[in-house]
Amino acid sequence: MIRLENVTKRFGDTIAVDNLSFEVNQGEVCVLIGPSGCGKTTTLRMINRMTEPTSGRIFINGKDTSTEKPEVLRRAIGYAIQSVGLFPHLTVARNIATVPELLHWDEKRIARRVEELLLLVGLNPAQYARKYPHQLSGGEAQRIGVARALAADPSVLLMDEPFGAVDPLTRERLQTQFARIQQELKKTVIMVTHDLDEAIRLADRIAIMKSGRLVQYDTPEALLTKPANKFVHDFVGTDRALKRLSRLPIMPYVRQAPSVTMNATMDEVEAVCRHCQWVWVVNDQKRLLGWLDRGSIPSASSVSDVIVRGTPEEIAVTGKATLREALSRMLGQGLRSIPVVDEMGILLGEITLRDIEMATAGTDTAP
Amino acid sequence: MIFLRAKPDSVAITGAVIGLWSLLPGWLTLKPSRIATGTSLSLWDSFTLPGALSIIFLWLVCFSFSFRLKNERLALLTGICANLIAIASFLMAGLSAERLLAGEEATARVSLGAGIWLTLIATYIVIFAARQKLGQSPLWKNLVSWSGLAVIIFLFASGWLNELSIVREFLDREARFMQELVHHVMLVGVSVSIGGVLGIMLGIWATRSGAAEKPVFFFSNITQTIPSLALFGLLIAPLSILSFTFPTLRELGIRGVGDTPAIIALIIYSLLPVVRNTYVGLKQVPPAVIDAGRGMGMSRGQIFRRVEMPLAAPIVLEGVRTATVQSVGLAAVAALIGAGGLGWFIFQGLGQAASDLILLGALPIIILAIIADIIMRTIVRLATPKGVAGETP
Repeated sequence: MIRLENVTKRFGDTIAVDNLSFEVNQGEVCVLIGPSGCGKTTTLRMINRMTEPTSGRIFINGKDTSTEKPEVLRRAIGYAIQSVGLFPHLTVARNIATVPELLHWDEKRIARRVEELLLLVGLNPAQYARKYPHQLSGGEAQRIGVARALAADPSVLLMDEPFGAVDPLTRERLQTQFARIQQELKKTVIMVTHDLDEAIRLADRIAIMKSGRLVQYDTPEALLTKPANKFVHDFVGTDRALKRLSRLPIMPYVRQAPSVTMNATMDEVEAVCRHCQWVWVVNDQKRLLGWLDRGSIPSASSVSDVIVRGTPEEIAVTGKATLREALSRMLGQGLRSIPVVDEMGILLGEITLRDIEMATAGTDTAP
Repeated sequence: MIFLRAKPDSVAITGAVIGLWSLLPGWLTLKPSRIATGTSLSLWDSFTLPGALSIIFLWLVCFSFSFRLKNERLALLTGICANLIAIASFLMAGLSAERLLAGEEATARVSLGAGIWLTLIATYIVIFAARQKLGQSPLWKNLVSWSGLAVIIFLFASGWLNELSIVREFLDREARFMQELVHHVMLVGVSVSIGGVLGIMLGIWATRSGAAEKPVFFFSNITQTIPSLALFGLLIAPLSILSFTFPTLRELGIRGVGDTPAIIALIIYSLLPVVRNTYVGLKQVPPAVIDAGRGMGMSRGQIFRRVEMPLAAPIVLEGVRTATVQSVGLAAVAALIGAGGLGWFIFQGLGQAASDLILLGALPIIILAIIADIIMRTIVRLATPKGVAGETP
């Protein structure tokens, strides 16, 4: 748990952080966001005393940080930054081992930990442990940066735009991976970003800052549905209904879907399809093969005559997707309904445009 | 003519042209005594006909092969040819000297002429070019680079070159030569060690403190512009006064002339390259890397030892290399203020107008500088961390 009490930071005459107080619960991700110069990075850096507060107190797990030696404090806090800052002269393994080495862990324990962390961030230890930073892609370097921050298993993790310096596709992958890791490890995380989508996606709570002050500190849902003032309203933007969709997992909205197999007779198809416009076609293992349009049924003698084929990857979304992804897929393919499958491509159900509409109802009320 | 269509290797062809041109000036000089002006002898008069022809032939081979240097086998042959030219020139010079001196007075000398020196330079240009084309094979590279030199040293050591004037000068002063050689190395070693440590400390200070940056660079830049002889001279007066005022200093060997001012001057000259490179080396460490180190709980000392130093080391040592090579040359001047070293032979030779005695000082200085350079380059390479050099482990 992290608690800031009346924290202020002045640089000469400018006030970077102005009497800031907030609390981050154990195991939660708190994202600091705001326009540049709002003091979010300064706030982050005061927590591990890279920057000393001018006044106010910061507590980690109930302990006043100013009572500890800065180096000792920092070794107990994970730290990942946008520019990563991997040591170019050390291998990936030695980079990850930095804090354990500072803590004098024994070699075997360090080696085991390095391997564990590489696996955690999805990199093959045999392949990556002995590489040097200049041999890594941007995304790989960022992952090593996160692994390094997690090395000594700190309960608190500070991240300053950790996915900032990579292309959008890689960023999304890294975010997905981070969400998975966080679900597993339940660290108390404070993350700075300027990417609202990232904040909405990853945060348990978002702290919107402006000119060194906290404007609103709330869950993403609350922020999107009840912006505290015009600043937050404008900051969140007019597309907040869409943004909110990325917070909503698809499964609660999935409904039973009609399906037939390839060797069904046309009469059977007719029976299944009586009340709907289309029907999904699956094989005996219920793996999705394509769909039938109701309009084409009368002219056909068998399913294979009129099936519109498509692999699950092409036409379906997985049960892990968000409503936003489902909507995007529907709009992209001009469908009003798409199938939902599991990882093996087995049909779980379907979701319709109407379901998504219902889910977002009431978001866009003015403040 | 296949050669006309091929594009020659520019370095090799330059060497070969210089080599062919070197056949024109005199190769040996026959002098009635070591300080008299003598008669210059052309390649024909210097060597026997087969000897002269073989050198011309080898140069022609080098010339034509420089059109086909991309072929690794021909590059190797070219390198071998160039080495053979160097070896043959010296061997035949030694033999010819014996023949030429046979009927002369005991004081007569045979010196190496412009032609033979030019040929030696030209062979090394060709060797350099050939070496570049030899790809990854270190065995052939080293063979091509060093075999000629090694054989010439062997010829010298086993007495084949004893009749040449420069070797005579050496043999007349062998003990003194060894003494001055060691002294020269000592002057350079002591001053570069002290200058290196001092320079690194000043460089670190300049990076750490904004107030120190300007004065440190002002001092080390300004001293670099003082001519070496002037700096040696400038130190004589204050050091004399010191040593007369404090007898203890005099007992320690600190005097206005001799080693003390020489070493002090050499230290001062060593400072700039070391200070500058230390400063650059530390400044080029990415701030993000230092920030990450700090954020993970490294102390200032740990950041310096584990991050900044290894990353700056190659650049710092590069500065020490420059200082070393420069000091080997500058130390020659130190002989003028009584510090000794190989410069002693140069100034003796200048005083006596004995050109071979000058060479006896100058040649070893050049060789020392090259050896110092090679050693320091090796150290720089060893100190460069793998991840920084960009090599795959």
